[in-house]
Amino acid sequence: MSAVVATGLGKRYGRVWALRDCSLEIPEGRVAALVGPNGAGKTTLLHLATGLLEPSAGSISVLGRRPDRDPSVLPLIGFMAQEVPLYRTFTAGDMLEFGRRMNPRWDEGFARKRLERVGIRPNDRVGHLSGGQRSQVALTLALAKRPSVLLLDEPLASLDPLARREFLKALMEGVAEDGATVVLSSHLISDLERVCDYLILLSASRTQVAGEVEQLLETHRVISGPRKDGAVPAGVAAVIEQSSSERQTTMLVRTEGPILDPAWSVQKVGLEELVLGYLGQPNATALPGPRLAPIRMEVS
Amino acid sequence: MTWLAWRQHRMQLLFGAAFLALMLAFLLPTGLGIASTYRSSGLASCLSTAGRDCGELSDSFIGRYSRMQFLIPLFLVLPAIVGMFWGAPLVARETEHGTHRLAWTQSVTRSKWLNVKLLALVAATLAGIGSVAWVLSWWSRPLVAASDDRFNPGIFDIRGVVPVAYALFALALGVAAGTLIRRTVPAMAATFTGFGGVRLAVALLLRPHYAAPRSTSFALFGRGVGTGQGDWILSTKTVDAAGRFVTSGEGLDLNYVSRHCPGVNPSPGSFPSKDALTACVRKLGLHVQATYQPGSRYWRFQFIETGIFVALAAGLLLLAAWWVRRRVS
Repeated sequence: MSAVVATGLGKRYGRVWALRDCSLEIPEGRVAALVGPNGAGKTTLLHLATGLLEPSAGSISVLGRRPDRDPSVLPLIGFMAQEVPLYRTFTAGDMLEFGRRMNPRWDEGFARKRLERVGIRPNDRVGHLSGGQRSQVALTLALAKRPSVLLLDEPLASLDPLARREFLKALMEGVAEDGATVVLSSHLISDLERVCDYLILLSASRTQVAGEVEQLLETHRVISGPRKDGAVPAGVAAVIEQSSSERQTTMLVRTEGPILDPAWSVQKVGLEELVLGYLGQPNATALPGPRLAPIRMEVS
Repeated sequence: MTWLAWRQHRMQLLFGAAFLALMLAFLLPTGLGIASTYRSSGLASCLSTAGRDCGELSDSFIGRYSRMQFLIPLFLVLPAIVGMFWGAPLVARETEHGTHRLAWTQSVTRSKWLNVKLLALVAATLAGIGSVAWVLSWWSRPLVAASDDRFNPGIFDIRGVVPVAYALFALALGVAAGTLIRRTVPAMAATFTGFGGVRLAVALLLRPHYAAPRSTSFALFGRGVGTGQGDWILSTKTVDAAGRFVTSGEGLDLNYVSRHCPGVNPSPGSFPSKDALTACVRKLGLHVQATYQPGSRYWRFQFIETGIFVALAAGLLLLAAWWVRRRVS
C-alpha cells in the first residue's frame, strides 16, 4: 500500500485554485521531500492529507483511507504545521499531557526522554522557548503519537543551520525505529538532500517530478559539447534545460542509456541542480510510468 | 479531551466562579435584609390583604432600596459577558493562533473536540447563570411585589428562566461569531452588538405579541389600569366620548381643555380649579383606553421567550459545528 496517494486532487478557494489536478504517490517507508516554489500548493496538499481540508476535486488517501471522511486514520498521521502551533500558555509538560490525552497510541516514555535530551524541562513555558526549542516540542508531539505517516510542513524554515541539523537528526532517530513514512515540505532542497530518499517536485500545483532520489540522480546528467542546433547525443531521453555559449552547449538531460558520444562531456548531477533545472522549465516532467499491477499466482 | 477543555478554559471558569461568589456574597445578606424589612414594615401583610391601599408603605419600602437599581443593568448585560468571554474565544482563539491545526490533527476528531468544549461551557453557563437568576429572583421578590412591576421590560428580563436562555444564546452567538470571523476581538464585538440587537428586537417587537393584548378603558383620574396583579401595560391613551384621540398616556392637555370648555380657565396662564376640570372631563366624556398583558400570563411569556432564545442558541451552535467541520482549516 502507498502511504499517500493523490488522484486529480484539487482545492479551490472561491475562484482561485490553490492546488489543481495533482496526482502523486508516495510509497510507504520513504523519507520524501516535497519541494516546490512558494505558492505551489505544498501546504494545501499537506492540509488535504491531514484532513484539515476537504478536496474540491479528486481525492487523496493516506494508508488507503480518506482523512476527510474516515477519522480512524487520524491516529496514524503525525502532522507539524508550518507555523509550529503550540499553546503558548502551556508548559512543555502540559503539551505532553495534551498529546497523551488526545492520542491513543501516545508513547509517554519516548516523549519525556526526547524533551530531556534536547534540554527542555517540563516546567518551561512554551511561550518562553526559542524557535528551535518550540520546533523540538512540536516534533516530539508528532513523533510520540507513533504515526505511520509523518507530515512536516516547512519544518526547517524558521530554524538556524545548527537547529536544522539537530532537528533533522532528531527526526531521523525518531522514525528509524518504526520505519514511518515521512513527508517534508520545503522550498529549498539543500536542507533535505541528506535525509530524503524520495523527491516530489510540485510546481504551479502540478506534480513535475516524482521518484526515488537515487534513480533520479542516476538518470539525469549534465552534458556539454559542441554547439549544434538541436543535436543531442544518443542516450538522451529528454532535454530539461540548456544554456549555450558561443561555442558550447550545456544541458541538463534525462537519459535512457549511457551517453558514449566522445564529443560530449558527461557529468553527474546534484539534487539541487536537478530541482532547479526542472523548476526553470515548468513544462518538463519526470514521472514514474504506468505501473503494471502485480500479478499474484495462485496455486491450488 | 475533558482535561484539555479544563486546561484551556480554567481561567475563564475561575473568573466566572469568582464573579458568582462575589454576587452571592452580596445578594444573600442584602436579600435577607430586604425580606425581613418587607415583613417587619407590615408591607407583606398589607399586600396579602385584598383591597388595602399599601401605596405609602410600598413607596417608603422601595425608596429605601432604590440604590440597588444599579443591579438591573448589570444583570441585563451579564449574558453578553458570557458570550464575549466564554463563547467568542472558543474557536477564534485557536484559528487566530493557528493552534486549531494542532488540536484537530490529533487522534480526536474536531467534532468531538468542539462537542466536549461546548458541553463544558453550556453546563457552566446553565449552572452559573441559573443560580444567579434564581437567587436574584428570590432577592427581588419583595421589591417587585411592592412596585408591582415583574412583567415590565427590564425586570422581566433579569428574573425567572429567561436569563438562562439569554446566556445560552449569547454563548452560542459568541461561538458562532468566533468560528466565522476567526478573530477573537472582532468576534467579541460582534457578539455584544448581535446580542444587544436581538434582545432589543425580541423585547420590543415580539414580546408584546406573544398573546393578543387585552384592552380596557376607565375614567380619567380614576383608579388606573394597575389592578395590583402585575399587569404589563403596553399603551394608554386619553380619548373623548366619541373615541377621538386627545393625548397619549393618561392626562389632559390644558390647551385642549380651554378650547373645548371655554371659561374653565379664569385667566390665561392660571390653573383651572379641580371642580371645573372634573366638570369639563365629564362633559367631554374623556376617558382612558389601555392595552395590557394581564399578569397571569407572566410565566407563559417567560417560557415563550425562553423557547425563542434556546431555539436561536441551538441554531447557532449547529451552524458553528457545521462550519468547524466543513469550512475551517
